[in-house]
Amino acid sequence: MNSEIDRNKLHGQAGLTRQSLFDQGYLDEQFVQLEELQDDTNPNFVEEVVTLFYRDSARLLANIEQALERSPLDFAKLDDYMLQFKGCCSSIGAKKVKNECTQFQEYCRAGSSDGCTRTFQQLKREHSTLKNKLEAYFQLA
Amino acid sequence: MPVKQRNGDQNDRFPMGLRVLAVDDDPICLRLLETLLRKCQYQVTTTSQAVMALKLLRENKDKFDLVISDVHMPDMDGFKLLELVGLEMDLPVIMLSAYGDTKLVMKAITHGACDYLLKPVRIEELKNIWQHVVRRNKFDSIGRNISNNQENNGCGATDGHGSTETNIYQKNERFGKKEEGPTR
Repeated sequence: MNSEIDRNKLHGQAGLTRQSLFDQGYLDEQFVQLEELQDDTNPNFVEEVVTLFYRDSARLLANIEQALERSPLDFAKLDDYMLQFKGCCSSIGAKKVKNECTQFQEYCRAGSSDGCTRTFQQLKREHSTLKNKLEAYFQLA
Repeated sequence: MPVKQRNGDQNDRFPMGLRVLAVDDDPICLRLLETLLRKCQYQVTTTSQAVMALKLLRENKDKFDLVISDVHMPDMDGFKLLELVGLEMDLPVIMLSAYGDTKLVMKAITHGACDYLLKPVRIEELKNIWQHVVRRNKFDSIGRNISNNQENNGCGATDGHGSTETNIYQKNERFGKKEEGPTR
């Protein structure tokens, strides 16, 4: 496999998979930025960063999960955790997950426990879906 | 990567070899930042702790040209780091955040940040950061020339023109003139 990603050369299933991730809104332009940083000095950069993301985000999500079990909810703290998590999501271009983060933050500001809890479940689903899709993609690429 | 020798005119080195200290507690952001900065051919040192960043800077401030730091960090508020670096080392500091809130940007600039970048940072923005260092070096030398001239002319008090120059410099430092055009 070439370490540099030439999108024109990614044929067959890998190319299609990659394109569908963008078309279906799972990834945004930032992911392309990551691809552009991959070269001979950083041959596995994209996969590396994504791996880092899933490791780090597991920790952040656990913090949020814990904080959501408190009563009453500390919305300021939740908002803060979510800001951190959102920063990570935007670093890899995780578009759908990032949108859930924004939604979550809005519920924090509105002081809606229900909204936060619901959105968080949705967020975890998106987070997990993206992970599976990226894993499948890296197998092919 | 060729490293230019430090000669009389510091500005000859730039932009290659610009020595940047990058500070961010988030490992993904830090890894990304490091890679982007290296792609710009800068010399990069990274740390995830503001406290460590200060230690490195205090040990030898001449080892760095510029600091880039996240605003939100657990061990020390990014604004605190910004203040301390400004006071102790007088190095240009660029703040980074996922929040682009105007109040936050204003706070950063009034605390002395020379720029405020929104995450995720793009390489185009980092390609221009060396200008902050050159600008600062230039203003430093203007300031020195003015006070030298005043001494040579035997002026006890600052003359009209001289004080305007230094006042503009101070005002820029304090309010951090944010250029949109040439630096982007």
